[in-house]
Amino acid sequence: MEHELTGQVLRGEHDIVYELRDVVMVYPGQNERANDGISLDIHRGEIFGILGDNGAGKTTLVRQMVNLLQPTSGSIRLFGRHVADDPLGVTTRVGFMPQDGAVLDSLTVDELLFVTAHLRGASRDGARRERDRLIELWDLTAVRRRPCRHISGGQLRLAQLALATATAPPVVILDEPTANLDPQRRRLVWKNLRQLNRDQGTTVIFITHDAVEAEKIIERVAILRAGRVVAIGVPASLKRVVDRQVRLELETGAEDPPALGTGFRFRRLPTGRWLALVGKDQLPEVLQRLDLERYDDFRIYSCTLEDLYLHYAERAGD
Amino acid sequence: MTDRRGRQAFAVQLADLLLVQLANWRWGWRSMVVLGMAAPLLSITMLGILIGDSGVLALEYVLVGNVVLALMFENQNKVSSNFAYMQAKGTLRFVATLPVYKSALILATVVAFLLLALPAVVVTIVAGSRILDVALAPSPWVLLVVPLCAIPLASIGALVGSIARTPEEAGSLSLLLTLLLLSLGPVLVPPERLPEALNVAGYASPATYAASALRQVLLGPVSGRLALDLSVLAGLSVVVLWFVERRLRWRVN
Repeated sequence: MEHELTGQVLRGEHDIVYELRDVVMVYPGQNERANDGISLDIHRGEIFGILGDNGAGKTTLVRQMVNLLQPTSGSIRLFGRHVADDPLGVTTRVGFMPQDGAVLDSLTVDELLFVTAHLRGASRDGARRERDRLIELWDLTAVRRRPCRHISGGQLRLAQLALATATAPPVVILDEPTANLDPQRRRLVWKNLRQLNRDQGTTVIFITHDAVEAEKIIERVAILRAGRVVAIGVPASLKRVVDRQVRLELETGAEDPPALGTGFRFRRLPTGRWLALVGKDQLPEVLQRLDLERYDDFRIYSCTLEDLYLHYAERAGD
Repeated sequence: MTDRRGRQAFAVQLADLLLVQLANWRWGWRSMVVLGMAAPLLSITMLGILIGDSGVLALEYVLVGNVVLALMFENQNKVSSNFAYMQAKGTLRFVATLPVYKSALILATVVAFLLLALPAVVVTIVAGSRILDVALAPSPWVLLVVPLCAIPLASIGALVGSIARTPEEAGSLSLLLTLLLLSLGPVLVPPERLPEALNVAGYASPATYAASALRQVLLGPVSGRLALDLSVLAGLSVVVLWFVERRLRWRVN
């Protein structure tokens, strides 16, 4: 079941950047649908996040949006034109950062940025200026003269972001922009993306697993599960569904989930902590039952975008 | 130089992509020294010892055949591995998201590896002629013939690289083709010493026409046969490049 909660955002038809209708993708030789009837609109100048677990079909979806894959059925329009009919329109209007680190890695970072800006239509002088601007913006000065194949994964990620945003295309699509980045670089990414959106009106579309940090900039979000959109809307509006819950995190060395009685469903986080979404009305009871001596640490706080994602993921899985 | 939608002109794209592919020199020079220079020179030395008393004609075939071998290693095999690597690594997808013509990338790759092959070709010709004591009589046509020999071989490499599923598969297939094309027809061995079947099969091999053209412009004399050789090589280049343009998996599916 799909939930469409648009909150206060009101937009006209002419503001639509991407228009997806009933997009179905079945890879050759497979029976399962990687995307199963996805329909959504993405508006001009918005920051749109796509959340979902591994295998939810996020990467497949964005690859179709940039014309690297053709949908089995359905339509994808960019600024009103089918992407399959207008490949040049996609490459001149959309900067794409793939999930893998695929770049022309025989070039240095400097050379790669220059040639990308130049191929995107900048003059030679303009491409040089753009290269220098991007080097500074994405903190690549230390590695600018090093071949891309000899820089670290995090530095390559920043170089890829610089490539996607080179010459300021009206739309950027980023597949996991903060994957493998340290906290300092993650902050730089969110800051730069917000700045790009604010200063140039760039439509920013990205896939992320980093829902907690991404929440700072996401204006609208789609949650995918098993190839389908299970929820879409403004995070604040979507979160009303779970705003009667709080997030309870417990840290314990035990392998078994904490026993707090029936009705509390814990899941293990990548950090090793146990997480449960608890109703606010249940909180006094939980605190009473919680034997703090048994846990190394515990935290209670209001729900995040990640909890929203978990909520819909669990509902869809039931 | 950009069109109204922000795409650079074809020639500009070609120049940019040519420079991108020439940057492979940074990693490729070691294998050029080993495969493009050392392998043909070793082959020339060994074959020269084996057939030293077989006459000048046999030595000339050894020299020119090994120039073709250098072109195959440096063009066909390198272009094949470059395309297979770009597909496997996702680099091709990256380029596909830029406003460039697929044909510009293919042509830039073929031309770049031709330029990168020139040192190996020159070394093989000069050092080989000294080792075998074969007199060179280069004609100005050599400037046209060397590219026209290299481009169809590189185009075949591009085709192999674009249809192979992995770089390993591309490497094996390309090596097999190299050996096959060298064996078919009078490339390394004079026609008089080849079984008739191989001479006939040689008409289907671009290496035969490349060797014939190179023999004429490096050792002389240039005859009317050169026009046929160049026509076949040019025609083959166009056909194979057209096929590669259609076959190259620019998109994932």
